[in-house]
Amino acid sequence: MEAALKAIAEPRRRQILELVRDGELAAGEIAAHFDVTRPAVSQHLNVLKEAGLVTERRNGTRRLYRARPEGLAELKAFLEGFWDDRLDALKREAEKEERAKHGRND
Amino acid sequence: MDATTETTSLEREITIAASPETVWQFLVDPDKATLWMGERATFDARPGGAWSIDVIAGATASGEFVELDPPHRLVYTWGWEPSGAEANPVPPGSSTIEIELTPDGDGTTLRFTHRDLPNAKATESHMHGWDHYLARLAVIATGGDAGRDPWLDGPMK
Repeated sequence: MEAALKAIAEPRRRQILELVRDGELAAGEIAAHFDVTRPAVSQHLNVLKEAGLVTERRNGTRRLYRARPEGLAELKAFLEGFWDDRLDALKREAEKEERAKHGRND
Repeated sequence: MDATTETTSLEREITIAASPETVWQFLVDPDKATLWMGERATFDARPGGAWSIDVIAGATASGEFVELDPPHRLVYTWGWEPSGAEANPVPPGSSTIEIELTPDGDGTTLRFTHRDLPNAKATESHMHGWDHYLARLAVIATGGDAGRDPWLDGPMK
């Protein structure tokens, strides 16, 4: 899930996701929307793919990309639980420290 | 200051099997705070002192300590640092977190309140496209209710 959060923290990757949200596009078509080099775009696509936010399909020599809705749903569920998760982590760490302070005699 | 922005707040209550003194350290000591939140933190834990936490890469939360009454009550402002030219629904200083610790037997009851968050409607009008995801993160991460994402309901044809 951290991979997905890091993936969307980069504005250009969010723009790429927007491009492939409604349909499949080839890497070259995606790159044509940006001022950066094609390898840079490929790298962004890789990050998105590894984070589970896009899928890649080969068609001959072309690589086609589209957004992966399940990846987005997972991301959203994670974001919604943000404070609950943080407070759970606080509880866990504070309790761990308290146990360490009082030794292991219980 | 935008007096017309509607706001909302979030409340949570948890019990922790640790003394208020132990829990307090996790709120004001940056090395301990990063065990439960973020990757890097700097805290100047006194009234008016600044704090900041890199919550995830590219997203830094920051604010100021307002009130410290160890180990009972902590108040600080909360917001997200600007990132590029994107709409920022929760800028630093715009919302307030209040944490109260009450002894409960050998443990502590922690009451968490996050006030002055923009509500979903106020936020939605500033955003469009995929940029809204980080902005949603800002709202949700700060405890607001961004509502169900309409994009998740429509099939991706």
